[in-house]
Amino acid sequence: MATVTASAPRVGLPGVLKHRAAQKLLLLALLAAVLVPLADARWASGSWPHALTVDVSKPLADASDWIIDNRDSHPLFLYFFGYISNAVVLCVRAVYLLLLAAGWAGVTAIGAVVAWRVAGVRLAVGTAAAFLACGLLGMWVPTMQTLALMVVAVLVSVLVGLVLGLAAGLSDRFHRALRPVLDTMQVLPAFAYLLPVVLIFGIGVPAAVLATVVYAAPPMARLTALGLRGADKEVLEAVESLGATAPQRLLTARIPLARKELLLGLNQTIMMALSMAVIASVIGAGGLGDRVYQALASVDVGAALEAGIPIVLLAVVLDRITAAAGERAGEAPGSRLAWLYAAVAAVVVALAGRLAGRLDWPDSWTVNLADPVNRAVDWMTAHLYSGVPVVGGTADWAGHFTTWVLDPVRSGLQWLPWWAVLLLVAALAWLIGTWRTALTAVLAMAGIGVLGVWKPSLDTLSQVLAAVAVTLVLGFATGIAAARSDRFERLLRPVLDVFQTMPQFVYLIPVVALFGVGRAPAVAAAVVYALPAVVRITTQGLRQVDPAALESARSLGASSTQQLRQVQLPLARPALLLALNQGVVLVLAVVIIGGLVGGGALGYDVVFGLAQGDLATGLVAGAAIVCLGLMLDRVTQPTQRRTKGGV
Amino acid sequence: MSTPVFSVEGLWKVFGPKGDRVPGDPELTALEPAELRSRTGCTAAVRDVSFDVHKGEVFVVMGLSGSGKSTLVRCLTRLIEPTAGSIVIDGEDVRAMDKTRLRELRRHRAAMVFQHFGLLPHRTVIDNVAYGLEIQGLGKAERRARAQEVVAKVGLEGMEQRRPAQLSGGQRQRVGLARALAVDPEVLLFDEPFSALDPLIRRDMQEEVVRLHSEEGRTMVFITHDLSEALKLGDRIALMRDGRVVQLGTPEEIVSHPADDYVREFVRDVAREQVMTVRTAMRPGGCDGTEHPGALDPDEVVADAIKVVARSGRAACVVEDGRCLGVVDHERLLGVVAGTEPKKEAV
Ligand SMILES: Nc1ncnc2c1ncn2[C@@H]1O[C@H](COP(=O)(O)OP(=O)(O)OP(=O)(O)O)[C@@H](O)[C@H]1O
Ligand SMILES: [Mg+2]
Repeated sequence: MATVTASAPRVGLPGVLKHRAAQKLLLLALLAAVLVPLADARWASGSWPHALTVDVSKPLADASDWIIDNRDSHPLFLYFFGYISNAVVLCVRAVYLLLLAAGWAGVTAIGAVVAWRVAGVRLAVGTAAAFLACGLLGMWVPTMQTLALMVVAVLVSVLVGLVLGLAAGLSDRFHRALRPVLDTMQVLPAFAYLLPVVLIFGIGVPAAVLATVVYAAPPMARLTALGLRGADKEVLEAVESLGATAPQRLLTARIPLARKELLLGLNQTIMMALSMAVIASVIGAGGLGDRVYQALASVDVGAALEAGIPIVLLAVVLDRITAAAGERAGEAPGSRLAWLYAAVAAVVVALAGRLAGRLDWPDSWTVNLADPVNRAVDWMTAHLYSGVPVVGGTADWAGHFTTWVLDPVRSGLQWLPWWAVLLLVAALAWLIGTWRTALTAVLAMAGIGVLGVWKPSLDTLSQVLAAVAVTLVLGFATGIAAARSDRFERLLRPVLDVFQTMPQFVYLIPVVALFGVGRAPAVAAAVVYALPAVVRITTQGLRQVDPAALESARSLGASSTQQLRQVQLPLARPALLLALNQGVVLVLAVVIIGGLVGGGALGYDVVFGLAQGDLATGLVAGAAIVCLGLMLDRVTQPTQRRTKGGV
Repeated sequence: MSTPVFSVEGLWKVFGPKGDRVPGDPELTALEPAELRSRTGCTAAVRDVSFDVHKGEVFVVMGLSGSGKSTLVRCLTRLIEPTAGSIVIDGEDVRAMDKTRLRELRRHRAAMVFQHFGLLPHRTVIDNVAYGLEIQGLGKAERRARAQEVVAKVGLEGMEQRRPAQLSGGQRQRVGLARALAVDPEVLLFDEPFSALDPLIRRDMQEEVVRLHSEEGRTMVFITHDLSEALKLGDRIALMRDGRVVQLGTPEEIVSHPADDYVREFVRDVAREQVMTVRTAMRPGGCDGTEHPGALDPDEVVADAIKVVARSGRAACVVEDGRCLGVVDHERLLGVVAGTEPKKEAV
């Protein structure tokens, strides 16, 4: 009896689904049959009809001019934004000076000591080595600039995230209101945040810090709320039964119980802040990101690498330290005395450096990496770019990829009538998700048309589609291989770990070295960036398939390919859809940044708008990026995510 | 009988939309639980429950899963807000208490032990035990000292600095018990405290409770779904089904006189000789002698009487305060074991 009821839905489900999918498509076809002739008769045009666009660039330009004219006089700026801006500058400056005053020896010692207390000796050595490497590469000052900006941005992000998260953790209503906002912010590419802050604060450190805060605060808020809500109910009941007041309950139970999530939130916030602090170099963040940005602008791979390596080192070190803190959250805290000794040791080192007159990193201790790297790149350009027998050169590959994949996809998309694109979006989103997600996706896509950036958006979309296709093929293949071989997975894991911590920006460096500039390198960077997440989710999904189901398939004599095709892949479908969704979101983020290396389209519009002070163009492109991000997320959003309620 | 500590009268708890209209509506209260749910979307977890808990007794509430025991015990200190009825503790109306007064009640007068312990994982054993005192605002030294005493009392010495994750289930529940004892409450509330434990450890813990009760005489309300636990610990037992109390009485009353088929089914496999007392088994009337062979106490269980009778080979007297109340012989004792003893007679 029990088995009958348990297995009935499983057997019945695909049939019902197919049935429902057919129903949805039928309904959509009916709707299209009525609406399309009407729309086509009225606005016959392949691209988005001009009559349906709203020219927002004029009012935007006016607004931006007004802000620029009034920035120094209007009370709103003088007494509100002005204060914020000054405070940010002051804080960053103060932290920067503090770091410089500690000297390179002091900063290295402090970093190592913190790593030692939080995560053990190995990480302490690694941290020290990472800081010394930054100095050796001649990047001490930019590293400190980036660090100063990060410290301020992370502090503010954590504060904002904590406040929002506490509110959402304690109030259901606030949680319901905040959740969709955070969900949406999570899928938007970093570039979309830049222009609004620049509009208000102008290019400079305040804008960079605030953009970073807006980008990095959501994970903290989300995880704080999650931690507070996930607390063991019985523990809270026990606390209540002992007569705790609401503040006591919060401070002695709810917050400590959420410690793991809080530390994970801190980890994610720091990583996102680093990623954004580097990208924000295009709006005046300075530091390491700026070096990479300048170097990429002149296609100087060596210089870009010199600044890129410290970024990666910072990312890995920060990630490991905060992750270790999270893992140790359940254990007994270390003794205070050890912290005291550690602090004293760090101060002694800093003072010693000061007395020895060696605050700045000595010039003679730097290694010139740029020249050899550039020579290697030159050699590559000469020998590997093209005409290598049999395999062809990397530039040839890029060229072929552009001509044979990117161009056809782009012209195909742009050839499609506008209503056909909307229809496709609707059909896909509805098949995978609900009518709600479909509606949002269609509205977002229509929004792009209304903004008048239909063509460049389809260009971006074509790059995203190509990159996602490549990512999925490689990612699923690798994921399946990793799920089937423990050895391979063990080998792969550290690689994925490192790749997942690296900021988006640094992925541009190697692809420029290999493929030059253009759309193909942007796609390549996007693929490399999105691949680790896709591989990881696929592997996990396949490995979590109910062992009993696999066992029974094996007992029926299924071969291992049959097991994979008939049991594992179908059962891992939710995970695969999630991988698709993540892949799309990550790919979009980097394809947009690809505007910096010749990716063109929307990303380029943003960069162009920033560079030329033409904020209106940039803002329209930014809005289109938001719409595109929303559309892509909703199209690939499985129904489950709404109900799951996880991170 | 002494004055009741808790006095519960017509208590209702209805979960769901507009649950408060249910208790007052005779049409709705007459419905079966399933029907009520489908009609109104409400679950009546506790329905019209009344009982008194006397000072110093162990009052057991027992029933199957979902019968509303946890809800009932939580209503006593308003961890769950009751829908209707009255709860009086020491003459004070609990439902009328304001926040401060309620907090006082929870801090000093009733402490609870939970099924899954409800310990704070980030605190050491001693800090978990001292938690209730900390909430009350006691200084660190004083609360540590008091917690230390209680830790010793429940047999956890040497583990003060461990964390809950480093303890076994039984030890964790000792911490939970110690935490409740540390605030020196008038009443201890237990919500299935031992059902997550292994049978052997469960027996240890039950004995611990028996010992604590005999040493300190603290009033206890004990929730369980395990009949043998209820019979072992309870001075009186309230048997719940679908939110109602179907029978309330001493273990012996419940075993010997089940109120309905449900209870009868429940107690069917009980070893009756372990529950029934000699007072019920005896044939009333004196032995007309002065020796009183056997000389059994009337509150001794039948199992003990069987030993005495079997050893001596003849009927034994039941003696209270030097007066012979009656005699038990093979026939009477066998009748108890077989469940065919005559209905209770006035003593
Ligand atoms: N918060 C709630 N909302 C709605 N219904 C609830 C809620 N809490 C309990 N119930 C319902 O009330 C009834 C009684 O639940 P309760 O937890 O009191 O049972 P119990 O006797 O303690 O069972 P167990 O032995 O499983 O702990 C159950 O039907 C349960 O589904
Ligand atoms: Mg219960």
